[in-house]
Amino acid sequence: MVADEPTFARLMVAAQDGDKAAGNVLLTEVGVWLERYFRRRVPPHQIDDLVQEVLIAFYTKRATWDPTRPFLPWLAAIARYRWVDHLRKVYKHDGKELMEDDAVEDSDEEVVMARVSLDRLMKQLPDKQARVIEMVKITGLSIREAAQKTGQSESLVKVNIHRGLKKLAAMVEKVE
Amino acid sequence: MEKQSTREDLIAALAQDMTPVERVKPAQGAGLIAFATLVAGVACIAIFEFWTGMVTGEASAFYWITNGLLLLLGAASTSGVVASALPRVGSRGNAPYWSAAMLAVVPIAAIITVVSLEANHDHSSAVPSVLADPATWYWECGLYGTIAGGVIALASVLYLRRGAPVSLERSGWLTGLAAGSLGALAYNITCPLDTVAHVGIWHTIPVLVWAVLGRLVVPPLIRW
Repeated sequence: MVADEPTFARLMVAAQDGDKAAGNVLLTEVGVWLERYFRRRVPPHQIDDLVQEVLIAFYTKRATWDPTRPFLPWLAAIARYRWVDHLRKVYKHDGKELMEDDAVEDSDEEVVMARVSLDRLMKQLPDKQARVIEMVKITGLSIREAAQKTGQSESLVKVNIHRGLKKLAAMVEKVE
Repeated sequence: MEKQSTREDLIAALAQDMTPVERVKPAQGAGLIAFATLVAGVACIAIFEFWTGMVTGEASAFYWITNGLLLLLGAASTSGVVASALPRVGSRGNAPYWSAAMLAVVPIAAIITVVSLEANHDHSSAVPSVLADPATWYWECGLYGTIAGGVIALASVLYLRRGAPVSLERSGWLTGLAAGSLGALAYNITCPLDTVAHVGIWHTIPVLVWAVLGRLVVPPLIRW
């Protein structure tokens, strides 16, 4: 069972005062909460990595929690910040990772779960942007191939990918 | 602290290093930005001297209105900057943006005034046109206000780096608005030029310059 808001707040006050035992319990509970938070947001094999990243951020920035304010929205804001950062890295440096890694190494269930969250976001994009992102960033087609398939010019494909990814990032940031 | 092979190892290491921390408080950030504004103002007075026309009734109404709007924008954006340093979810206030929109009325009014005065000016008369007034072209005030804004931007960035801003672009815009408005205000108290054209354009342009600078320069500096 995950701790409730008053328990989190009490442990956090103690942790801010340097109580190591309270800090240990708090970090464990925060880890459980984060695991649930990320379960629907990232592929399963990335969860532990992301939880560890957020735990480090949580520890480093623990002085920014104000005891007069609720704890969980503060934690959720940090988790969301790291999640968005993680998505940016995935899109920027490793656009094909979802398709290639998951198809070869992970189970079908993991691939399906990763695609479900991505598809939900993609549905909110204009069709022409979603199609070229799907073709180039997920399926792995070249810009030229995507241009031929969609009838868009190559520069329009690039513009639509750029605008679509920007919108996706903005949508992710707005998720509360 | 680096990631560990298991989460349990990481938690044990972090808990072992758990030391008391001094909480980051918005009042500290507001105080730091207010102090930076004071430093910028005193530096401007030391360099350019205080304009006594402000207290002898010489200053135009336009001068007071512009500085009043700059002060309001400075207060609203400072409040936004310090709030943005603490992670939170939910709706965020738009007061700084509305304050910036209100201030934008000033340069727009100045440009309309200049254009309409010039269009209706009798160039055969001995009275000089608004475009012939040196104050209209005295751009240095915009530069000095922008430089003064650097002190406020520095203070804002230092505070944001202590905190944990989760919306970097917003923090960047707000830092720019605070730096531009308070920097301009710090310099404006030394400037004896108070015509509509001069005040409306050169006393407000640091806000625009710093808003763009803040958006472009600040996010990489406060990323964590």
